[in-house]
Amino acid sequence: MSMQASADPAQMSDSGGTPLLVARGVTKTFEGLVANRDIDFDIPRHSIVSIIGPNGAGKTTFFNQLSGVYHPTSGSIEFEGTSLSSMSPHLVAGLGVARTYQNIRLFQNMSVLANVMVGRHVRMHGQWYGAIARLAGIRREEDDATRHAFELLELVGIRRSSANDLARSLPYGDQRRLEVARALASDPKLLLLDEPTAGMNPGETRQMTDFIARLRRDLQLTILLIEHDMKVVMGVSERITVLDYGEKIAEGTPAEIRANPRVIEAYLGKQASA
Amino acid sequence: MPTRTNLRSAISSGLIAGVVMIYLMAVGIAAVFSERQVIAGYLTLGRVMLIVPAFGVGYLVAGRSGSARSRAMLALVAGVAAGGLFSAAYLASVALSPGIRHVLIRIAGPLLDFIGFKDLGFDPAAGAVLNLGLTAVAALAAGLVRIAPAATRRAILGGAGAVLALTMIEPFLRPRLLSFGFSDFARFVYLKHGLTVSSAAATFASGGLLVAFWPRMRGKARATLAAADPGTRSVLRWAGLLLAIVFLYTLPWLSGSFLTQVLVLVGFYVLLGLGLNIVVGYAGLLDLGYVAFYAVGAYFTALMTSPTSALGWGLNFWVALPIVVVLSAMVGLFIGAPVLRLRGDYLAIVTLGFGEIARVLLGADALKPWLGGPTGILSVPPMIGGGTYTLPIIGEVTGPAATYFPLLGFCLLAAFVAHRLKYSRTGRAWNAMREDEDVAQATGINIVNYKLLAFAMGASVGCVGGAIYATHLQGVVPGGFILLVSITVLAVVVLGGMGSIPGVIVGAFALIGLPEMLREFAEYKLLVYGAVLVAVMLLRPEGLIPDASRRAELEEARGGGGPEGEPILEVISGDA
Amino acid sequence: MRRPSNLSLVDVILWALRVAIVVGVAVGSFATISQGKLSGDQWRDLLVFGVSQGSVYALIALGYTLVYGVLFMINFAHGDVFMFGGMSAFFVADYLSNIGFLNGNPYIAVPIILLTGAVSSMIVAVLLERIAYRPLRRAPRLVPLITAIGASLFISNSVRGLYGDGIKAYPRVDILQGTFDIFGIPVLKGHAIVIVAAVLLMAYLYWFVERTRTGRAMRAVSEDTDTAALMGIDVDRIISTTFAIGGLLAGAAGVLYAIVYNQVIWSMGFLPGIKAFTAAVLGGIGNIVGAMLGGVLLGILESVGPFLLLGGLGVPSPNQLHDVIAFSVLVLVLVFRPYGLFGRPESR
Repeated sequence: MSMQASADPAQMSDSGGTPLLVARGVTKTFEGLVANRDIDFDIPRHSIVSIIGPNGAGKTTFFNQLSGVYHPTSGSIEFEGTSLSSMSPHLVAGLGVARTYQNIRLFQNMSVLANVMVGRHVRMHGQWYGAIARLAGIRREEDDATRHAFELLELVGIRRSSANDLARSLPYGDQRRLEVARALASDPKLLLLDEPTAGMNPGETRQMTDFIARLRRDLQLTILLIEHDMKVVMGVSERITVLDYGEKIAEGTPAEIRANPRVIEAYLGKQASA
Repeated sequence: MPTRTNLRSAISSGLIAGVVMIYLMAVGIAAVFSERQVIAGYLTLGRVMLIVPAFGVGYLVAGRSGSARSRAMLALVAGVAAGGLFSAAYLASVALSPGIRHVLIRIAGPLLDFIGFKDLGFDPAAGAVLNLGLTAVAALAAGLVRIAPAATRRAILGGAGAVLALTMIEPFLRPRLLSFGFSDFARFVYLKHGLTVSSAAATFASGGLLVAFWPRMRGKARATLAAADPGTRSVLRWAGLLLAIVFLYTLPWLSGSFLTQVLVLVGFYVLLGLGLNIVVGYAGLLDLGYVAFYAVGAYFTALMTSPTSALGWGLNFWVALPIVVVLSAMVGLFIGAPVLRLRGDYLAIVTLGFGEIARVLLGADALKPWLGGPTGILSVPPMIGGGTYTLPIIGEVTGPAATYFPLLGFCLLAAFVAHRLKYSRTGRAWNAMREDEDVAQATGINIVNYKLLAFAMGASVGCVGGAIYATHLQGVVPGGFILLVSITVLAVVVLGGMGSIPGVIVGAFALIGLPEMLREFAEYKLLVYGAVLVAVMLLRPEGLIPDASRRAELEEARGGGGPEGEPILEVISGDA
Repeated sequence: MRRPSNLSLVDVILWALRVAIVVGVAVGSFATISQGKLSGDQWRDLLVFGVSQGSVYALIALGYTLVYGVLFMINFAHGDVFMFGGMSAFFVADYLSNIGFLNGNPYIAVPIILLTGAVSSMIVAVLLERIAYRPLRRAPRLVPLITAIGASLFISNSVRGLYGDGIKAYPRVDILQGTFDIFGIPVLKGHAIVIVAAVLLMAYLYWFVERTRTGRAMRAVSEDTDTAALMGIDVDRIISTTFAIGGLLAGAAGVLYAIVYNQVIWSMGFLPGIKAFTAAVLGGIGNIVGAMLGGVLLGILESVGPFLLLGGLGVPSPNQLHDVIAFSVLVLVLVFRPYGLFGRPESR
């Protein structure tokens, strides 16, 4: 199977319409350390974009601001017109932003199915009194959520029979996929993937890359990726943004980035580009 | 021949067991139980207490690898070490008597006589030797039991356990047998508050046989159940339910007044435990001030229902109850709100602070006009009628039984609510929050609201317990709302298994019911609670009846599966 | 329901609490001072008492803060370690008093008693760590905390079983009777000794942690345990040492406490333990100087507070409520400034 996404990327994303997410001048400092400096960043609807950069460049910090875990020290982040700058993470999730984590952070001692169903929490409405009374509406909602969860498990490729196993008992690759299923359970508009292929062998990496492309196509998702594996980045992204020392140093198509001397220098040091 | 390292560790284990025996002697546990007969005239509970460490160390030490002979030898070595140390301490105590009593107050003449078998005519030196021998033999016996094939081992331990259990329930069982007219049987079983030799032997045998055949019987029962058609299965389930209901309904009548009082006390802690279980077990918020909610419920109820209180409204209990619950939930919110951002240890201490502030305020002169100071609020009317009412079949209900029935009802309600919550969107959210708060929040769970909800629910359940308590005692005094109550409830939840509903019930019976039966224990109750908490955390942090996810979480921390990995009462819990 | 997005129920409650506290403190203090309920001398005496009691808290607080620094856990049983020192030293003091050595050679006897207390507490602390805490070092946070609670119950009730229920009155030490005259202020000799001893011990600890090799190792373990291990530091031994030092200080504090109050009892560990923890948090947990200052500050607040805040409001028996002051400080610090007076907030 080819490395490229199977449809022409330029036709997939709504490059003409308003971007899903607009970040302007985003700066984040921690007690004197500037983790992100004055970053402008747009995510076009239905696109797959990536952020790359050497370790410590501030990628995860930026990610965390997009999901509400951190708030920018200055600058603005708007998702479909709503400002995220001081929004609590659970509200950000409600808007339609879902994410996965660099080091897998599943709910290890909950079952596979429960992990996915928790993902759906934000789209469900059952309250404690409804749960106690087991109202018909609640029961229906739980059944629907369960069915949806099973569908997602199938989508990501986890066996139905593992549904009641503890998340921690899954093999590594399945755990990564479960995290994606959990993120998808909330019907997000924007999916943030933090190094989804970390720790995977080439075969698994290829599968994940295809999967990401399929996700965008089949579920009409917008996807933002942090990645270190260049094959994945180059293969599936329409646009790549490069961070170094907290600043954006380049942005463009894979071909442009590959040839950009500043990028090469950032990764390999001055000698390499000389 | 055992290896040198094994020998060394056997000796050190033996010495530790010896220290435990000395401890039991010095702290007074041996003394207190020296009168309590196990087998009348032959074996007292005090002696059993002294032998248990020896038995334990022999059992443990013989678990190492090696030939049967070397394992037995290790057990013997451990026993000799333990016995040697203990006997030496005994002789030293005798030599230093009576002066030693000024420091270690329990080491008095009668205790030393008891240890040294003076009643059999031995002098201290001979007594010391006998102790050494007894300890060594006990350890060796334990080692042999350990070496024996698993079925035999289980049978022997089961038999011994049955004997101990039968003797411990004597204060309850004997009067009931007599009052139901089984005096001949009672005389066969019990003599002078202990077992007769024949009943001990019979119990040992039957206990052993029961344990030996239990796995087979259970397997057969399960197979039959699995093979049965759904119709039969549901009939059986309803029959079981009916049996349980009948049992619970007639329990006060079966048990008599004393035991009903114990049941009521256990019931309070079950109710409190179910409430704390929501806060600690589901949401993972360690609350050491739970007694505050209990107090709020009790005092608000007293204020509203007692005609002589500061408010003097004299409301009917059932009218006041909803008001009290709402007020408690609000208190729960007020306490929860400021502490939301605090992490485990700090949250525990802050809630402890709240609980202590409440305790001091309740008894303070400053609030005496409203809360009654150290004497509290009196004349709280009982829940139903004047404390006496009639029920179908069993007739008139009075005294502790009058509290038992409403309390049972509320416990069942609380268990029902807890169960429904656990397997719902709310329960899942709590689980996720407990597992990883940051990720849960990023997944869309409003952490603030769910923490507040947990506090409010816990407060409501606790307050209902307090309300019933106020009517049970027909008054409230600040002395009943001390930190110890919070810690006891926590111990109940922890021992039973955090997050586990049947666990709370078992924990309450174990920690509240047992000390009531073993009256001698009253003085050492807290000591035992402390030891139990430490032991449970070190050996089986998931509790007696673990919640499946909790067991996994804590096994992982211990580095892999637990010793057997099986919950004791898995049949009942239905987990795993 | 639309509200300004930043304002929530929680924030409202917190602000209401802040306002209530400020108003309460202001009104109460103003009322008390304007009514002149207590004379200047009485305030001064309360202050001195507060400083001496606070010194005891400071010594215990150091144990909490040291252990928290290396293990990030609250040693709930530390208060009982304190009690054990005071209790064990009692028997030595009693014996020395009976043979006349105590008042015959007080300058030798008192240090012996102090040493006994310190060493016995140290032994208990080290055993505690070895038996109850070490196996649980990697367990989820709740587990060691519950273990500590169990250990606290066990230690205090064991002492109760071993040595009995009752109060044990410390023998009179003649040279500690009466008062010193310091700059015209009469200070009870007992209080003065406590303050001086505490200051000396704290100074020694500070030097130890800052200047010695072991102290440096302790700081390293506290900063980053894994890296410290990689640097060749025996983490287990350092942790034991930390507990030992905390125990020594607490044991000395136990004896000093007995000097101030003239008695020990099996249950005396709980309240001072909690208050010392409050002091440690007040100063910023993990911060040694903070623990010392926090202890003294808390002692003063506790001593002066009830009269200052409540006396003027006509509250009967305000001294009953001195525990409430201490617990309120605990709650307020943890709610509003959990990193303490001398710590810094973590940013978000």
